[in-house]
Amino acid sequence: MKKYQLGEFEEVVLLTVGVLYKEAYGVSIKKDIETRLSRNVSVGALQTALRRLEDKGYLTSYDGEATEERAGRPKRYFQITALGKKALEYTKSTRDELWKAIPKMALNLKMIG
Amino acid sequence: MKSSPPKLFLNFFRWFCHPKLRDHIEGDLIELYEERVKELGKRKANQKFIIDVLLLFRPGIIRTRNQYSFLTILILMNLFKHYLVVAFRNIKRHKSFAAINIAGLALGMICCFLIFLWVRDEKAIDNFHEKGKNIYGVYQTYVHNGGADGFYITPMRYTDTSRIYRLEHIEKNIPEIEGVAFYAAGYDLPWGHPETFQVGSKIFKLEGSRANENFLSMFSFPLIAGDRNTALRDLHSLAISRKMALIFFDSPEDAIGKSIRFENRIDMNITAVFEDVTPQSSLQFDYLISWVTQEKERLDLASDDIRSYVLLRNNADVHATEANINRHLKSLGFTMLDGTINIGLQPFGERYLHSNFKNGKPANGRVVYVNIFTGVAIFILIIAAINFMNLATARSIRRAKEVGVRKVVGSSRLYLINQFLGESILLSFLAFLVSILTLNFILPLFNLFAGKHIVLPIDQPLYWLSLIGIMLFTGLVAGSYPALFLSSLRPSSVLKGVVRFTSASIFFRKGLSVFQFSLSIVLLIATVVVSLQTKFVQNINLGYDRENLIYIRIEGDLNLKYAAFKTKAESMSGIALVDRSTETPHSMGFVTSDPIHWEGQREGQLVGFKPASVGFDFVRLMDLKLAEGRGFSRDFATDSASAFIINEEAIKEMGIKDPIGKWISAWRKKGQIIGVLKDYHTGSMHEKIRPVILDVKEYEYFGVIMVRTEPGKTNEALASLENVCKDINPNYPFAYQFVDQEYEKLYQNEKLIAKLTNVSAVLAILISCLGLLGLVMFSAEQRTKEFGIRKVLGATVTNIAKLLSQDFIKLILISFCIAAPVAGYFMHEWLQEFEFKIYLSWWIFALAGGVALLIAMLTISYQAIRAALVNPVNNLKSE
Repeated sequence: MKKYQLGEFEEVVLLTVGVLYKEAYGVSIKKDIETRLSRNVSVGALQTALRRLEDKGYLTSYDGEATEERAGRPKRYFQITALGKKALEYTKSTRDELWKAIPKMALNLKMIG
Repeated sequence: MKSSPPKLFLNFFRWFCHPKLRDHIEGDLIELYEERVKELGKRKANQKFIIDVLLLFRPGIIRTRNQYSFLTILILMNLFKHYLVVAFRNIKRHKSFAAINIAGLALGMICCFLIFLWVRDEKAIDNFHEKGKNIYGVYQTYVHNGGADGFYITPMRYTDTSRIYRLEHIEKNIPEIEGVAFYAAGYDLPWGHPETFQVGSKIFKLEGSRANENFLSMFSFPLIAGDRNTALRDLHSLAISRKMALIFFDSPEDAIGKSIRFENRIDMNITAVFEDVTPQSSLQFDYLISWVTQEKERLDLASDDIRSYVLLRNNADVHATEANINRHLKSLGFTMLDGTINIGLQPFGERYLHSNFKNGKPANGRVVYVNIFTGVAIFILIIAAINFMNLATARSIRRAKEVGVRKVVGSSRLYLINQFLGESILLSFLAFLVSILTLNFILPLFNLFAGKHIVLPIDQPLYWLSLIGIMLFTGLVAGSYPALFLSSLRPSSVLKGVVRFTSASIFFRKGLSVFQFSLSIVLLIATVVVSLQTKFVQNINLGYDRENLIYIRIEGDLNLKYAAFKTKAESMSGIALVDRSTETPHSMGFVTSDPIHWEGQREGQLVGFKPASVGFDFVRLMDLKLAEGRGFSRDFATDSASAFIINEEAIKEMGIKDPIGKWISAWRKKGQIIGVLKDYHTGSMHEKIRPVILDVKEYEYFGVIMVRTEPGKTNEALASLENVCKDINPNYPFAYQFVDQEYEKLYQNEKLIAKLTNVSAVLAILISCLGLLGLVMFSAEQRTKEFGIRKVLGATVTNIAKLLSQDFIKLILISFCIAAPVAGYFMHEWLQEFEFKIYLSWWIFALAGGVALLIAMLTISYQAIRAALVNPVNNLKSE
């Protein structure tokens, strides 16, 4: 059984929230992922991921200020929770272990092939 | 200037989005949108916005069921229940209104369902064969000076001893063709008849056909026993129906291999038994005689009407195949001297509905009626829906206050529209129930009346879907106007007690009524014309006396013992006179021109004659009138050898004067014209009177014996005839026909049309009157106060009734002006099918208009008088 469930896209979102630190809300997360990873992110996909992460307890959120360009709608800021951080660390360490476990030859072959 | 994202999609988003997420996601969307407008322009931004919204429509973001607030559901449920309660209360309170509404809708629906069932059945005919889409019927297009004719004729060549079918084995020459089937009905006019079969002491007459060995394998008539590929291959093989098998044998399987005697002449072997042919097939037969038998035994053909059907390979191109067939036949010498002849292929499934030829190609036919009645069905349903609209709007005064209160309390227009649409759908649902129940009872009657075997296809979901579709459609159409109209009322004015209808809305409703009545009057006129024409063709003086005239087919010993039969029969009670003819007099089908020549015939002059060989007493028996000369007589020794009688039309077309004594010849017989008959009808009123040529031959082996019975002694005469027949012709069952009945059978199509138009017209008028009733009620309610004041000031009941009526009379008159030319045009077209027809005189239109007016007046005056009789005190006291 997996200890921490974290999908690839979820991981990206979670990391980006970390990167943006206090400035992580819908639009900024979307733009950050788009520029850093040069991949398109739809509002729908992002929001679903955020929702799932929040449900798992990796993120918390709070309402921010309402600005004019948002027609008076508040921003919703996201923050990584301690559990979220653990999940990230766990994912990273499992990846590292896997990396270490690969024999050098296999990788080389793979690259040549 | 600030631009805003597409409203529709924003609203859509707001609607589906989980309320908790709505605000900030919307904020994100708007922020992004603003940016994109600046960067990419409004159009691109709009596009991206729409894509974003659509991509947001996913689980996790959409609110789930239980997230609709419980309260909302409660309110919605309550509202729904409330609407239902209000609707039922309304029905209960205004029982007559509701009854009129439901009855009107139900009538419309029943009519519509019936017609659709009929149409469905018509369209299903011949479409059950598995290989059906690859089967084509062969027709010929004969192009000659300036015109083109089409016939379903099988290309044939006659040699002295046999017929050669040019399409036989054509599959060997044309690869696209898998096989050719020949089929000839044995009972078709002019010479066809039920044929006699005998097993032991059982003798029966049955109607069947001849078909070649490919027939059963091409068409999928289900077989009970036998091999469909070989059943009709051999000489004397015979396939029979279940019904026929059970007549002669214990079981269908039992019949296989048994021998059965045909026409007391040939013993046939039963090689297959098929299920009784379904009424959905246009080819009907109780037995199939193999083609070889027909050709080798030289069985009589009922008519020239031999049909060929070809089965194409799966992906064969029809036009290419046609061209190949024609090329092949040309190479075999299939040509005409005075024109060109071509073979065409028509999909077998289309033949039943498209059997008339236009410019040598199959064009329309029964499909015209199918289309007309589909139209009528739709129109009747529309009339019924309009009716509902009118009644509902008429009632709107009563409902207006309700609408006002609802609006004040906060109901949106949408809710009101839903409410009224819901009500109309509820009513149409009730009407639907009524009509389905009634349909069950009516269908057997309808089948009897339309000569159909329709069963309700209750096991087919599609059928229910379409019925429910019709119901919903009716409900929506009927409810649309009242819903829009009522929901548009302004609460302020409604609650003050003033409901003003714009002139546009009044015009609209009057327009609906005019439309209804125009349709009704068109149908009325059609009814009058069709029934007059049907009466006309049935009562027209045919030029001979068709009452008390019976005919019996000449078969067995009747020909050889004719003289004995005649003497014996004429001596018996009830029988006045006996004679014979090679053709049945009411429908002489044989027309020929080549074998007939006469004195004074111009080079190349051809006249299509209907020839018949008769007995000496024919003229007397038929009660034909002579224009010149004399009838056949035994007193002249030469009459049987060289006497001819022709009719006036013949003289006209031959172009001769003083015909008596001139020579004329038919085939090898040459003689003099001894008499000229006044023209009489030898076919249906669809065809003109043709030249007739008669001679005496009391020895032809085919034809009919005709018996003139004494008036009122038909039963005695039949008993006598049966005795004589049993005596002289014991191997054949006694069968007879009445000429007058057979004559009427020529007009079965017309009778069906007459029945359908009658029913539709009655229904249409009925439904229209219901609509008119609604309008009058509405008008009366609108003007209650006015009438009250008028009465106080001294107006009489008549004054007021007149005042109320005259508006509507005007509507009827306008409808009439619209309907008369339309109906005139259609009926004129219809009458073109007849050579002998009634004149479309003005009184037909006047009659229909008058009837419509009268019925409308009755409807109106009832309401008008009721409105006028009300005590003004009641009307005026409320303010």
